Amino acid sequence: MRRSDLGEFEEVVLLAVAALSPNAYTVAIAEELESETGNLVTSGAVHAALQRLEQKGYLRSVWGEATAERGGRRKRLYAVTALGGRVLQEARAVRSRLWDRILPSIRLEWS
Amino acid sequence: MKSKKSAPGPPPRFVTNFIKMLVAPHLREEILGDLQERYYRRMQQQGAAKAGRRYWLESLAYLRPAFIKRQKEAFPSTFLLDSAMFENYLKITYRTFFQNKLYSIINVAGLSIGLAAAMLIMLYTKDEISYDQFHEGVSQIYRVDRKIIKSEGIAANSGYTGYFQGSRFSAGVPEILAFVRLQQAQVEMKMGTEIQLQAVSLVDSNFLSVFTFPLISGNAKTALLDPGSVVITEDMAQKQFGTTDVLGRTIFLKDGKGFNPVTVTGVAKNCPQNSSIKFQVLRPLNVSASEESVNENWFRFFLNTFVVLAPNTNVQTLNAKMQKVFEADAAESIKMIREKYGLADVGLSFFLQPLTEIHLSENVPASDGLSDAGNPAYSYILSGIALFILIIACINFVNLMVARSIKRAKEIGIRKAIGGNRNQLIVQFLGESFLLCLAAFVLAILLVQVVLPVFNQLSGKALALSYLVDFKLIAGYIILFISTVLLAGFYPALIISDYNPVRALNARFTLNGKNYLQKSLVVLQFGLASFLIISTFVIFSQFDFLTSEKLGYDDSDLITIEKWSTKHDQAALFKEQLMKNSNITGVAFKNNGYSGNTVKVNQDQKVNITYETIDASFIPLLKIPVLKGRNFSRSYPSDSTHSVLVNEAFVKQAGWKEPVGQEIAFFDTHEKYRVVGVVKDYHFKPLTEKIEPQLFTMNPGSDYGMFYIKIKPGSETSSLKYIAETFKNMFPLDSYSYGFKDQENLKSYEAEGKWKQILLFGAILTIFISCIGLLGLSVLSAETRTKEIGIRKVLGASVAGIVASLSRDFLKLVLIALLLAIPLAWLAANKWLENYPYRIALNGWLFAFSAMIVIMISLLTISFQSVKAALANPVNSLRSE
Repeated sequence: MRRSDLGEFEEVVLLAVAALSPNAYTVAIAEELESETGNLVTSGAVHAALQRLEQKGYLRSVWGEATAERGGRRKRLYAVTALGGRVLQEARAVRSRLWDRILPSIRLEWS
Repeated sequence: MKSKKSAPGPPPRFVTNFIKMLVAPHLREEILGDLQERYYRRMQQQGAAKAGRRYWLESLAYLRPAFIKRQKEAFPSTFLLDSAMFENYLKITYRTFFQNKLYSIINVAGLSIGLAAAMLIMLYTKDEISYDQFHEGVSQIYRVDRKIIKSEGIAANSGYTGYFQGSRFSAGVPEILAFVRLQQAQVEMKMGTEIQLQAVSLVDSNFLSVFTFPLISGNAKTALLDPGSVVITEDMAQKQFGTTDVLGRTIFLKDGKGFNPVTVTGVAKNCPQNSSIKFQVLRPLNVSASEESVNENWFRFFLNTFVVLAPNTNVQTLNAKMQKVFEADAAESIKMIREKYGLADVGLSFFLQPLTEIHLSENVPASDGLSDAGNPAYSYILSGIALFILIIACINFVNLMVARSIKRAKEIGIRKAIGGNRNQLIVQFLGESFLLCLAAFVLAILLVQVVLPVFNQLSGKALALSYLVDFKLIAGYIILFISTVLLAGFYPALIISDYNPVRALNARFTLNGKNYLQKSLVVLQFGLASFLIISTFVIFSQFDFLTSEKLGYDDSDLITIEKWSTKHDQAALFKEQLMKNSNITGVAFKNNGYSGNTVKVNQDQKVNITYETIDASFIPLLKIPVLKGRNFSRSYPSDSTHSVLVNEAFVKQAGWKEPVGQEIAFFDTHEKYRVVGVVKDYHFKPLTEKIEPQLFTMNPGSDYGMFYIKIKPGSETSSLKYIAETFKNMFPLDSYSYGFKDQENLKSYEAEGKWKQILLFGAILTIFISCIGLLGLSVLSAETRTKEIGIRKVLGASVAGIVASLSRDFLKLVLIALLLAIPLAWLAANKWLENYPYRIALNGWLFAFSAMIVIMISLLTISFQSVKAALANPVNSLRSE
């Protein structure tokens, strides 16, 4: 797995799409991430990540319904592709393996 | 601050618009939706203020290339001026140009005529406004003018002053640094045995240092110091000596009785054509102190006085200062003059006029001893006509371009269908217009070159194309060109590029809508053309009236010879000599020009008169009817000393019932005369002036200056020869020049003649270009209705009916144009005619006739095509579909 394939923020966004599916769109993802991390997440940043992910083939999107609070504009709903799922799985595996290698005593010392 | 529960308002519009503009179209909906949704949610949770701030922040996050980058289209469009496409445009332009030779020629020719007219006018106006600008320090040079307020409240302005004013004003007003006087004189000049009358400018010795007339030889500072010196121009030197190297050579000028030698001390470059002061010979103006200080000199006006002011002088305060000087200095002579002439109620004041304003001044024009008074009205009228022509040519361009584009609808449709976008089409058609305009522009320059001599003659100027090489003028032409391209090219480009490709590819494509613009353009064209045609007719009729109206005397076969200050006995001798020739049937004398005077009638009533000295044969020779009393006669010896003749206008003003035997007294000399006869009013001055009271005497004390010689018709050559010989024998030291009275009379209407010609040209050009445009439109109309005409014919319509149906629409437009133009032309004509005391009455016929002409010409133009279409075999038009 190459480093450039999935950035950290991209990974989080990809995960959020997977978690929010089938209702994953920019605003929902941004809000989700904001509430999860407590940091400010702009929709622009999320949108940019979504665009990149879609280009890489990890996501696909369809037009969703229009709502009044969007000024009658449609939203774009994102879903994880099979490739995206695999990439997520792989990322998770890498992390688990690394976690597993950390000795329990060290983990205790952190806290 | 709003409550948290309030209904959400829109997010800050400025930011929204900014984002809308910035982000790529394909992302716009999503991004704007997201932004707005977040804003609303925040507003409900955190309030409007915070949401607003966050909205800013959120928006800023979109300022990244990923959102700004436009999506590539499925079919990449070519660059606006792709070289391959450019070649294609050129090719198409070339082809369409030669495919429709008629239209193209109409278009380019019309436009180049319009441009040429505009160019000529620009040359003309440039020349007009550049008058006298070439002098160094011109902003400090002023002319002393005077204003006389007459008893009737009429102010008479003049640029004439006398010897006196220059020295008095410069002595009394410190801001006046220097003064130069300029007096024009006709002096007899001798070259070999030839004696000719030569215009000589008498000037103060500082003339050449105040005005910038460079010398090619001689010293400008000293050339005019010596009374026996003379400065001549290059042309004059060439004419007199055949070379310009003439310093120290001698010229003979008549002074007093005989010819005196004067030495050439300088040769000046020829005066620029845009100079109010034009001279060929300059002589020092030598005024002795005694001559200058004669008492009345404040009130004698016969030369121009120019003054040089200190820099940054306020002219208004200077005028007041000058007036004080005058009132203090002239108090004595004012008193004396009032006693002598009874001019108690006449006011006189002096004021300064900038040299640069003299040429186009309506207040005090350059006529007083200076040449080329310009009439600003000419500039306006000419510019107006040029604008008319240019507008009409542009309208043609627009109409024909749009009309032609209908034939090109398929090309446009295909271009659009295969992915050409609107901008490309605009570029293409603007480019075509540009090329056509460029061609027209080049043609226009050639045209200007060709017609410049004619125009010079018309306008009385000596313009040259080299005048074009002037930064401002070139800039002007470039602006003219660009605005023509835009004016003529933009509208067609917009119209054409707007075609719906589906409809454009359809075979039966016509312009949609009612084409109000096109119609109103045609109306405007014909309105302008009709206006000019009517104006031309009015001027023609007035001119005709002026030149053919009976003058009240007989000016046929009448030769006039001007010879100043001829004593009565000399004149009688001359007459005796002349009468020996059998071809000469009569000789009469008169003083030269017209002198004004005032006489007293009915004790103290004043009458301003034109005063003439004649001999007994004058009235019968000119066949002026004597209404009451009798003509002067030799049988009454007292006639030459105590009798006068007056005209009807005089009698009217004096209010006499029985004029013969009434007594009149001259104001200045108090001499008393008795009226012996009344002559019928005759136009002794041009018809542009009213007949004023006139008085004739035979006073032997005043000299004659004009001979009238009546000859037998057909004997001109031999009579003229005889007269010239007799004159030479009688007066060997005088220059001889003659004229025919009727031709001289015609000369008084030169201004009208010029207007007539200018307007005639303008009218012909406008109607010509308008008709060209109409022709193009009627061709188009006939073409688009080919099928309709075919079907009508098959169904039995007559040729006349079809012609009528084709012409009706256009004729309607022409009629509307006429209806608009006639009242305007009527107003303008009335205004113009007000200047003439003797004028034609505007009648309906004049307008009807002009309207007829416009209608006839346009009908002819339209029917040319309509008839062709109507006569065509319907088989041809119906066969192919």
